[in-house]
Amino acid sequence: MAAKRALVMHPKDNVATTVEEIQPGDQVRTAGGGEIRSLAAVEAIPFGFKIALEEIPQGAIIVKYGETIGKASRPISRGALVHVHNLEGTRARGDLEGREKQ
Amino acid sequence: MSFLGYHRADEFVGTRNYVLVIPQGLIAKAIGDFVAGVRTIQTVDHGSGRTANDRERIARVLIGLGRNPNVASVIVHAASPGVGYPELRAERLADEIAASGKRVEVIDPAKDGGVYGAMAKGMQLARMMVYEASKLRRVEAGDEHLCLGVKCGYSDTTSGIAGNPAIGYLFDKVVGAGGTAFFGETTEIIGAEHSLAKRAATPQVAKAILDAVARREEMAKSTGLDIRTINPVPSNIKGGISSLEEKSLGAIHKAGTAPIQGVLQYAERPKGKGLYFVDNWMGHLSIFAGYAAAGANLVLFQLGGGGLAGRDLMEGSPSIVAPFLWCTANPQTYQMAKDNIDFYSGSVIMDGEDPQEAGERLYRTVIDIASGTLSRSETLRHTDPVDLYLEEPRF
Repeated sequence: MAAKRALVMHPKDNVATTVEEIQPGDQVRTAGGGEIRSLAAVEAIPFGFKIALEEIPQGAIIVKYGETIGKASRPISRGALVHVHNLEGTRARGDLEGREKQ
Repeated sequence: MSFLGYHRADEFVGTRNYVLVIPQGLIAKAIGDFVAGVRTIQTVDHGSGRTANDRERIARVLIGLGRNPNVASVIVHAASPGVGYPELRAERLADEIAASGKRVEVIDPAKDGGVYGAMAKGMQLARMMVYEASKLRRVEAGDEHLCLGVKCGYSDTTSGIAGNPAIGYLFDKVVGAGGTAFFGETTEIIGAEHSLAKRAATPQVAKAILDAVARREEMAKSTGLDIRTINPVPSNIKGGISSLEEKSLGAIHKAGTAPIQGVLQYAERPKGKGLYFVDNWMGHLSIFAGYAAAGANLVLFQLGGGGLAGRDLMEGSPSIVAPFLWCTANPQTYQMAKDNIDFYSGSVIMDGEDPQEAGERLYRTVIDIASGTLSRSETLRHTDPVDLYLEEPRF
């Protein structure tokens, strides 16, 4: 089966954007952002979502477009879906401000 | 390159040729319903009970729409609830619009035989104004006369990787040719403000960008909420965007790479040409009216659409006098809503189209619509009321 495609926006990125529907176990081949990488998806990843290109420990910065898009709220495996369940925004977090004030 | 446009007395060039009746209300609606080729504004904000700053914002919208080069001539009526405030007096609005060299007429129920009388006078004036405007012919105009405004919405990851870059290419091309372009949505540059500040034409502009973001981020924090419960909006999250920073970093691609000449307030006209950041709010019923009031003669909505299941008909034209284009890079959105889409760049993702070629196609579409081809949304009569971006409490 042909590898599924995902786009890397910048060489520093640790996630890629899928441009096909991906099933668990599919081989995913990246384009853009320097070196071409090949990895296996460990779970289903819908069109337009993000796949982890490497193991990302809890608290580590998640990088897309070469910039910070958030941090890992739990450990993320290589080939896993990266979305709101395991990525936390770091900006405009009124909820965290409140916690600090208490 | 160039387009075919209506050359005005103040040397701005229009892509359309309307007669405008302002402010909103019964008289404007009656004239607009009765006379062909007339545009009016619909909004609930008439200024009554608003602070001086917000009244001035409303005045900026009304004067700016009147001065927009897509408007040939203007009727101002004196029957709005806000008319008693100095900022919103009919004569003040009329004088500032007339400074552009356009014909402006004031109608007033107190002098013209009541509301019925003012309507009748307005209808008669509007007919003659439309007739006079129709004598004007489109003449070639260089791209330096284009003034564009953009917003991205229902964004998903196709927006950041293909849709916004196509707009960015268009912006670079038009700004490079001496034209003007607006982008904004302050919440949606949070997380990307440093790369924008680096592109500021002067240190003052860089500071103004960072200040606008700091002010907005403080407002967001004061809610005590995780911004993700508000923005990215549910359709963004459904489309694969995971944080506000990710949304912002994709969103700024629509601004291209040109230096940023200044930070403008809502509906503020720029002093020069080039690329401007507008400190505004993302709502599409708000932002496009502000761009048109600042002088935009064509505006674009870059649509993601990951979260828009079933929307095969989309309303449009919240820009009142400026043609409004729907653009998307999402193949599913395009298939579902083909009738509405003026420009599609999903081919960059699906078929490996060169992003610059996609940008070039968008540029040709813009030139075509600027020259008189209707945008898809212009084929609808429906328009929603606009939501003027006012920031202060009401009393």
